[in-house]
Amino acid sequence: MKPYDNRAWFLALPALVIVTFVGILPLVAVTNYSFQDLFSLSNPYWVGVDWYRNIVISERFYASLGRSFLFSAIVLSIQLPLGIWIALLLQRSHRFVVSTVLVLITVPLVVPWNMIPVIWLNFINPNIGLAGRMLAWLGVGFDYKFNALHTWIVLVVMDTWHWLGLVVVLAYAGISSIPPAYYQAAAIDAASPWQVFRFIQLPKMKTVLSMAMLLRFMDSFMIYIEAFRINAGGPNSATAFLSLELGEEIQSFNYGPSAARSIVYFLIVLTVAWIFKAATITRGPAAMEPAK
Amino acid sequence: MKSLSFLGRIALFAMVGAFVLVPLAQTIMTSFVSTLPRAGIAEGHFSLINYLNILHSPVLKEAILNSIIYVVLNVALCLGVGLPAAYAFARYSFVGDRQLFFLLLVFRITPTVVLSLPIFVLFAQIGLENTPVGIALVHCVFNIPISIWILEGFIASVPREFDETAFLDGHSLPSFFFRHLVPAIAPGIGVTAFFCFIFSWVEVVLARILTTTGGKPITMAINALFGFRTDFGLVMAMTVLALVPGIAMIYFVRNHLAKGFVIRT
Repeated sequence: MKPYDNRAWFLALPALVIVTFVGILPLVAVTNYSFQDLFSLSNPYWVGVDWYRNIVISERFYASLGRSFLFSAIVLSIQLPLGIWIALLLQRSHRFVVSTVLVLITVPLVVPWNMIPVIWLNFINPNIGLAGRMLAWLGVGFDYKFNALHTWIVLVVMDTWHWLGLVVVLAYAGISSIPPAYYQAAAIDAASPWQVFRFIQLPKMKTVLSMAMLLRFMDSFMIYIEAFRINAGGPNSATAFLSLELGEEIQSFNYGPSAARSIVYFLIVLTVAWIFKAATITRGPAAMEPAK
Repeated sequence: MKSLSFLGRIALFAMVGAFVLVPLAQTIMTSFVSTLPRAGIAEGHFSLINYLNILHSPVLKEAILNSIIYVVLNVALCLGVGLPAAYAFARYSFVGDRQLFFLLLVFRITPTVVLSLPIFVLFAQIGLENTPVGIALVHCVFNIPISIWILEGFIASVPREFDETAFLDGHSLPSFFFRHLVPAIAPGIGVTAFFCFIFSWVEVVLARILTTTGGKPITMAINALFGFRTDFGLVMAMTVLALVPGIAMIYFVRNHLAKGFVIRT
């Protein structure tokens, strides 16, 4: 048990001050704007909850919400199993293989986000792109501009390319923290590989995997720059996700409505974080490890 | 049977590697090709012209410098305030510690686009726009939580007796931090710096809204290259340059990447 000492606050205080300054204060400031019509910042006009009502009653909002949920669901159901599988295979590999694969797979994480769509648009360009020419040669009529399904495929593949490394790193971190004694015990009990996975590896990976799930959920749910650059929400709003609408509104300097939208989205984030916390706390004791 | 599964594994890893590298390969290839008609260089042939153009462009060089300044500042800030906070979380319980942790979690997962308007409004009022310092500060909102989580994991794996011995030897808290704790968790500091670096380096939404007229980092300088007749070779060359520091950092921390993710909620 950790000693109880409130002087520890002094150590945490600098971090809290900065987070307050760049996180909490801006949100407080903007809450004010969300209740006003601001033709310019010096000319506020109180409109109450009008902006919020506009969001909550608009069908577009729910359509985008649904698309964002669908996108996150697809992304999670591909990236989590794939990442866990790669991590499981890595665990049985030689050290050199492990570091090579980890280095390779994390490379897309260091690509600036505005360049990821540029790289992919270049790659799937039917005239000059490797993948684009390959598809044309195979006779696939690939058209990410006007075919909604194809835009979705590009987005999902691109997102997987971008983020698979994070899932693999986290999953591998979870697996490699399992002491060998667990596997020895499993071998004595003649456990099958599935049983080893189900009853040893998965429970031991739970904390890092829930973290990976949370990060991947939130980032895909609010995907912005990448999706915008690929097809600007098109074709026909088929890829208009939540963030794209907010981005659009901020770009056109509609202070009031975009402030209200920011607050609504932040409340969604807060809810997700709270659900995550509630879900992991009930499983708390299992995740608590003796100090290594 | 055993060798079969071995081969299958290697084949899978090769496929993963190809999946990662092939889209990048095209970018790197394009960066070495002259993509606009120029006197003396055949269009579409190998050339270093794009890299030479970067070298001769004060705007692009300044952007590279801006990026380096803000990212170094950000990593220093996050380590500086993250280390004591992580120590507090790892060693003590205090009133409101869970709430504080939850707050950090919330701001880590808040998408930057949600914070971009609020931050723009606030920072414009206090004169922190168009400077690398502003970006460095803003990126703390998601990097401080990251640094605290990772460092906490590394500190928690150091036995408590280690601290107590140092204090008995007469070390004050700051001197213990620098002389004992930092060397003991050096790989953790490296991994933390790596993750703070990448998340700050690649972020564009806040960086864009804070640098509308000046102080542009690499990412925004690349954005500005798009126009009526875009020099794609130059764009790709800048992208390749933007990857170099990140890949170098991956290489340095490769053996520690997967350690230290003991994440508490």
